[in-house]
Amino acid sequence: MRGLLAAALVLATAPLYADYTPFYLGLLTEVLVFGLFALAFDVMLGHAGVMSLGHSAFLGVAAYTTGLLLARGRAPVEVGLLAGAAAGLLTAVVIGVLVLRKRGVYLAMLTLALSQVFYYAALMWTPVTGGTDGLGNLPVLYLSPPLALRLSKRPVTRYYVVATIVFVALLVIRHVLASPLGRAMRAVKANETRAAACGYDTRRVKLAAFAISGLFSGLAGALLTLVLEFVPIENTHWSMSGTVLIMTLFGGTGTLLGPFVGAGVFIWLRDFVSKYLEYWEVFVGGAFVLIVLFMPDGIVGTLSRLRARRAASPVATDERPVEPGPLAAARSPATAPDGVLLESRGLTKIFGGLTAVNRVDFQVRQGELRSVIGPNGAGKTTFFNLLTGVLPATEGRILFKGRDITRLPAHAVARLGVARSYQVTNIFGDLSVFENLRIAAQSRVTQYRCWGRADRLAPVNRRAEEILALLDLGAKRHVRGAELSHGEQRYLEIGIALATDPEFLLLDEPTAGMSPEETQRTAAFVRTLAGRVTIVLVEHDMEVVMGISDRITVLNYGQVLAEGTPAEIRGNAEVRRVYLRD
Amino acid sequence: MAQLFIGLVNGCILILVALGLSIVFGLMGIINFAHGIFYMLGAYAGWLTVHLTGSFWLALAVAPVTVGAVGILVERGVLTRIYGTRNASFAGVLVTYGLAIMVPDLVRMTFGRPGKPFAVPAALSASLFKLGPTEVSAYRVFIVAVTLVLLPLLWLLLNKTNLGLVIRAGTSDNGMVRLLGVDVGRTWTITYALGAALAAFAGVITAPLVAVAPEMGSFVLIECFIVTVVGGMGSFLGAVVGGLLIGETLALTGMLYDVLADVIIYLAMVAVLLLRPRGLFGQEGMSEE
Repeated sequence: MRGLLAAALVLATAPLYADYTPFYLGLLTEVLVFGLFALAFDVMLGHAGVMSLGHSAFLGVAAYTTGLLLARGRAPVEVGLLAGAAAGLLTAVVIGVLVLRKRGVYLAMLTLALSQVFYYAALMWTPVTGGTDGLGNLPVLYLSPPLALRLSKRPVTRYYVVATIVFVALLVIRHVLASPLGRAMRAVKANETRAAACGYDTRRVKLAAFAISGLFSGLAGALLTLVLEFVPIENTHWSMSGTVLIMTLFGGTGTLLGPFVGAGVFIWLRDFVSKYLEYWEVFVGGAFVLIVLFMPDGIVGTLSRLRARRAASPVATDERPVEPGPLAAARSPATAPDGVLLESRGLTKIFGGLTAVNRVDFQVRQGELRSVIGPNGAGKTTFFNLLTGVLPATEGRILFKGRDITRLPAHAVARLGVARSYQVTNIFGDLSVFENLRIAAQSRVTQYRCWGRADRLAPVNRRAEEILALLDLGAKRHVRGAELSHGEQRYLEIGIALATDPEFLLLDEPTAGMSPEETQRTAAFVRTLAGRVTIVLVEHDMEVVMGISDRITVLNYGQVLAEGTPAEIRGNAEVRRVYLRD
Repeated sequence: MAQLFIGLVNGCILILVALGLSIVFGLMGIINFAHGIFYMLGAYAGWLTVHLTGSFWLALAVAPVTVGAVGILVERGVLTRIYGTRNASFAGVLVTYGLAIMVPDLVRMTFGRPGKPFAVPAALSASLFKLGPTEVSAYRVFIVAVTLVLLPLLWLLLNKTNLGLVIRAGTSDNGMVRLLGVDVGRTWTITYALGAALAAFAGVITAPLVAVAPEMGSFVLIECFIVTVVGGMGSFLGAVVGGLLIGETLALTGMLYDVLADVIIYLAMVAVLLLRPRGLFGQEGMSEE
């Protein structure tokens, strides 16, 4: 809050320091517009973990839209601004839909290539865009009555109008980032697989990030047109995407202030260094390489980290402690009348020439604690991945409460109430312990709501608090997940699964790597969960398996070797043979 | 006919540049924005050699060797610092992009802004035969011939040698190769240098067809991105087929209207993405992460 007031104060008084010189005011205005563009860019990179190199298209299409409306349509400035923002959003969604089949750097490259389609379209369509000459002939710009301010050739007015709009946009972006959607974006950035396993449709979350980013990039493009009173084709060229990337990383990704600082530094370099050094790009490129290598948090990120280290205070949060209540009562009974919650029929998975899971028929009843055991390579984890929609089955069907879920993607399976833990610890390492649980609980309530603060969702907070108490991790609520001990991380992962309020819980070797004491404690913990949720457990520790399971299924070479109570399995000659040989 | 042949020449050059890009991406997961500057530096190294010694044939050898050495420097000096860090592949894009901005300006500083003329070597300047009304110079035939010799050699290198085996294995699983006791770091350096040398070679042989200029790298880089997306990242055959397709498309549509040619190749890429996201010859999963 204090930061925002300070920002508002700086914005309001900046013209004083610039002595109201048109040149400096013009530069300041440009810094604000590019700062907004960089912030919009960082909504994707710093807050959703998606690197785009296609932002030139968002900015460029918006700038042309505004420019055309003003120059040819003689539309009011306000209409031009809104239409520009809308055009940016639309472009971003179109590109987003096309590229989100891919991830990481490949996605970045696709955005770059797609954005160039817009560049060449602008280049070809000379009658409309002016081609390489750019689009000019804008009328004298006025805001509509009642303000009726003249913008053209009035640098001070223009500065204040742009500053106001940018400041409001900053507030809106800040609000969205703290909303449930903003938190979901952060979760996707922190760990996409885990977010999907919590029920988040990660592709849609990322598409939402594209849309928000496109909207504000569009607004920046529209403002740029007001400032320049001209639409150069360079707006749309991919090197503009590179420029915004450099600005954002200079300032620091993941911060609100960073993109503005970065834009300031970049424009300063461009305008002042180039006066003395003709080849200023050497300087920019070199500085950029150095920043990426040695200061990956950027200027603002590094400064705030240094300050945080000096203060050594825990991260401030707005989370209000909620009294832990009892765990939610057990769910309504399964709709399947025979009590079978999950069933697989002839489930098969073939990788190349290897049949990892071979015609497995499997039934779990409501409330049961089932263990799946088998030698290494028996197909247990693959079987889990099939049940949770992580891998598509080659053949066979999976029914959950009588409903066919064979073809559902992981997040959709999770939303039905199927939660899981992974063999290799899989948590949101960058998020606090509490946020790990909160984001999981939130998936049940809202995923894409982009207003209201996520940390004020009372039922979600309550659920997270309950799980936190259940895990006995209350003392570590503010600690980053990655900083927990191995055993605590395994616990937290079970907690994340539980926080999604599942009916069916799959635990893949929860005691892997734990000390004997931790193993015992975990086994007891899993036993207490049984009865509330139906559990399928993959486990190597025979003592644990025999001690807590209701029934056991033995897999070998992808096939069901035996199934029965612990006593039956212990007495099964076939099972003994397989295990002794192993 | 003549345009088809020009397309073939374009395609050959694209193949040589795109192959390096594709192999480096496959092995190291890095989109090498610096690849274009190797192509450009190759052309300059060639120009300098010709300028000093007058021998084009010497330039053909000097450019790949010196630029390969630059590649080693970049890999050892810059890229090694980001291996193993979080988001290493993002950081790889960023640092190579920084280099791609910096180096052309350095070249401008050293050699001046205007491009350098690069004459076709005398031995190859004659017109060899006529395709329709167009004279086909021996030099273009030479480019095609050189590519036809180089490609099988490269294929052998990648498929029949130990180095190639390690590269291909690393492309599918780097961690496993490391576990098997292979010095992955050295393989990466060699691969990166190889890609740089190939790009530089392509740069020299293109130089007589276009002027040598600091900006030449960024143009070819984007075209090669498209080649690899269309052909499939990390695929040898993909780079070859993609290079030919894009080269021919550029030549054939460029005959009508040159801006249209650029639009068409981008649209071709969009079409491939929609119908076959992994590219024509890409392996499944290669481009997921």
